[in-house]
Amino acid sequence: MSTPDITHGQGFQHTVRPNAGVHALSASTLDAGEVRAVATSRGLAPEDLDVRLRADASSRTVVLVLFSVAVIWLIVGSLFGDLASMKLHWPDLLVQQPWLTFGRVRTAHLHAVNYGWATAALIGTSLWLMPRLVHAELRGDGLALLGGVLFTIGITVGIVAVLMGYTDGMEWLEAPRYAAGPFLVIGGGLVGLSLFRTVAARQSEHLYVSVWYILGAFIWFPMLYITGKWPTWSGVESAAVNWFFAHNVLGFWLTAMSVGAAYYFIPKVLGRPVYSYQLSVVGFWSLAMFYSLNGMHHLVGGPLPTWMITTSIVASVFMFIPVVATGINLHMTVVGRFGALRYSPTLRFIVLGALAYTAVSLQGSFTALHEVNRVTHFTHWTVAHSHVGGYAFVTFVCFGAMYYIVPRVVGHEWPSAKLIRWHFNTVLAGIAIYVIALTGAGVAQGMALLNPATPFEQSVIRAMPGLYGRTVGGIILTIGHFVFAYHFWLMLRMPRTVPRRSRPPFHEAQPVLYTPEAAAASHSARAGAGAVASASTRAGATE
Amino acid sequence: MTRISLIALGAFAIMASAICLLVLVPQAMLGKVQAPAQLSGYTGVQARGRGVYMREGCVYCHSQQVRDPAFTTDVDRGWGTRATVPADYVYDRPHLLGTMRSGPDLINVGQRIPDLDWHLIHLYDPRSLVEWSNMPAFPYLFEEKQPANVLPNDRVITIPGPRAPKGVVVVAKLDAIALAEYLVSLKRQYPVSPDAQATEQMVGGSHGAR
Amino acid sequence: MLPSSIIVILATALFTLGAALILFWAWRRGFFSDLDAQSRVIFEDRDWRLVRPWETDADRAARERSHGALQKPDAGEWGGAS
Repeated sequence: MSTPDITHGQGFQHTVRPNAGVHALSASTLDAGEVRAVATSRGLAPEDLDVRLRADASSRTVVLVLFSVAVIWLIVGSLFGDLASMKLHWPDLLVQQPWLTFGRVRTAHLHAVNYGWATAALIGTSLWLMPRLVHAELRGDGLALLGGVLFTIGITVGIVAVLMGYTDGMEWLEAPRYAAGPFLVIGGGLVGLSLFRTVAARQSEHLYVSVWYILGAFIWFPMLYITGKWPTWSGVESAAVNWFFAHNVLGFWLTAMSVGAAYYFIPKVLGRPVYSYQLSVVGFWSLAMFYSLNGMHHLVGGPLPTWMITTSIVASVFMFIPVVATGINLHMTVVGRFGALRYSPTLRFIVLGALAYTAVSLQGSFTALHEVNRVTHFTHWTVAHSHVGGYAFVTFVCFGAMYYIVPRVVGHEWPSAKLIRWHFNTVLAGIAIYVIALTGAGVAQGMALLNPATPFEQSVIRAMPGLYGRTVGGIILTIGHFVFAYHFWLMLRMPRTVPRRSRPPFHEAQPVLYTPEAAAASHSARAGAGAVASASTRAGATE
Repeated sequence: MTRISLIALGAFAIMASAICLLVLVPQAMLGKVQAPAQLSGYTGVQARGRGVYMREGCVYCHSQQVRDPAFTTDVDRGWGTRATVPADYVYDRPHLLGTMRSGPDLINVGQRIPDLDWHLIHLYDPRSLVEWSNMPAFPYLFEEKQPANVLPNDRVITIPGPRAPKGVVVVAKLDAIALAEYLVSLKRQYPVSPDAQATEQMVGGSHGAR
Repeated sequence: MLPSSIIVILATALFTLGAALILFWAWRRGFFSDLDAQSRVIFEDRDWRLVRPWETDADRAARERSHGALQKPDAGEWGGAS
């Protein structure tokens, strides 16, 4: 029997899965009739057994590109964030250059981390998930890649424009609409088109909850963006539109895709279905109904019709329905299996992220109440709250998803458990310090502002220690991001074991995870079994 | 109808209804609000200054709204004599209401600090006037000239105290002057009709006098 | 306290009602029946049978009884390094 070549980068790799039982498909151990029998016994057509691998292969390039872009934005955004934080307690730092003034750097940070890092990571995750969820290859993956590139150009144009002094003026909507807008609209549209076409080509009868969230995100974001960027708003109506957009982009874009990802990865790794699928239906539709109405809670006490503010406060409180529904699902699925967090970085990040989602949402409902809002409005409390959501929830889910997806895209596991541990420990410590310090600063500031006898100066001075603490937390986060980026780069640099954009036929090798031991084991197994000397063996499916 | 169409339609409908309720309805109502007689639109220089305010991101530290005295202490703190109402913002495009008070509220700063030079000095170096301030300095809105090069029409500002730059004369550029003019124009303390203050009664047409 | 623009109010009500009707109709069409099967869509045979290091022997025995012979996970299966 000839020994197949197992070196890297030679096109198809030849291994047999370790511990391949009767359910692994190796052309050398099963003939076509047995393959048909196995498939039929599982209610699948033989070609279905290859579907997941084709699904993974179809999204590989666009996912890798988007994740790489995301990591770059993570570093860029973190650096802008650190600089902005430092300027609040060292206000004479780097004031000579207009493009480094606090007001522009803060906006650059916001865009880089939300529209750059989080959006790219979540779109990449969604493009990888969708083929898996609907058991069909990604349609229009080339156009999706173009879309991702165009979107990235749009965000870059927007950030550069803001740093140069061009802004449309409303928070979260600063990127100049005619310079950056076309890139964002066309780019986002191409990605959305790819996802919708993939769903249309689906082979599964059921649409898992993650599909609803991803599709929802790509329907809602264009509606929000068009509304927010419509050029005619002025006066307090523009304020209403501003916060309608800015709050809903969190719930209907970032949260939607993050919750969708959590609904997939938590059950998948644990090997248990979600606790109550009925609750996921409740969670999805009640999120849509109530979240869309609560944006005005950013303007409590402001010059808007009271009925609008009241509606938003009521909707904010009603948010406990979707949050509890989703929370029960995501948390109860894990209960009894918390030991899994020791073994799975994906679960570590995503389970904590899901807890942060519940926490930040309950905090948000609480903050919308008049009595609490009197203290917290206009303070650092709100910024701290936004980081519990945007970081402890969304960013953690992105990290967890990437830890799961990247090995399946590049063909080998992460090389260093130590780097993963360092990443996790630093970002967990960093966000804890950040949130505690800044929330404290916000409360101190708010209590000082509330008392008219206390001079304004006190609201600044009493917040200072917390602002220093936020910089410490932010720097620790940035260190963690560098660790993650380095590890990601190592993954990209390792030899590819699977060719790009390949659509190999059923009988040829489909290794996704390769280890030297597995290859050695397979050789001895096949030599011992006197297997047919086939140059290709079916490596079987790995998740 | 397929399940996808259902999800898509349902999602679209819910968001469309929210847009109607929270964007289009207020637009229809508030679009009828007239500018108060005592409020004039921004002059060219003030409008330019407002653009500088937006460009430098002042809105990320300063708010421009006085909240109801029954609700909280903005009025007691001296940031205005009354709560601001939608009519106060008719000429603002886009709004600059703000969501942070790292610095004081500014909607009535023209009433509190009408001195243009104070604003210019403060923009050049906030800590020369307010030592505890953490506001960024904007030296690039100014020019530091040799005394011999100062022109007769230059707006010269004198920085007080030990932080004054040595050997140069600080001249405000047009953007600094415009920004200061904008700030000094911010006054919303003229009286408004009692029903304008009760903002939930914003029914267009029934307040004919406005 | 009615906003003056009756048209927009009607449009809001229409969309909201539309959403409710769509959901009701979906329920009548049976899209919400058999939800438990929907929750299992993401699993393949292999997922049920993987040996998970955090599970107890009792859990694993239960898996083996329901789904058949267990399989070893690959290196990095759970998103980490080996």
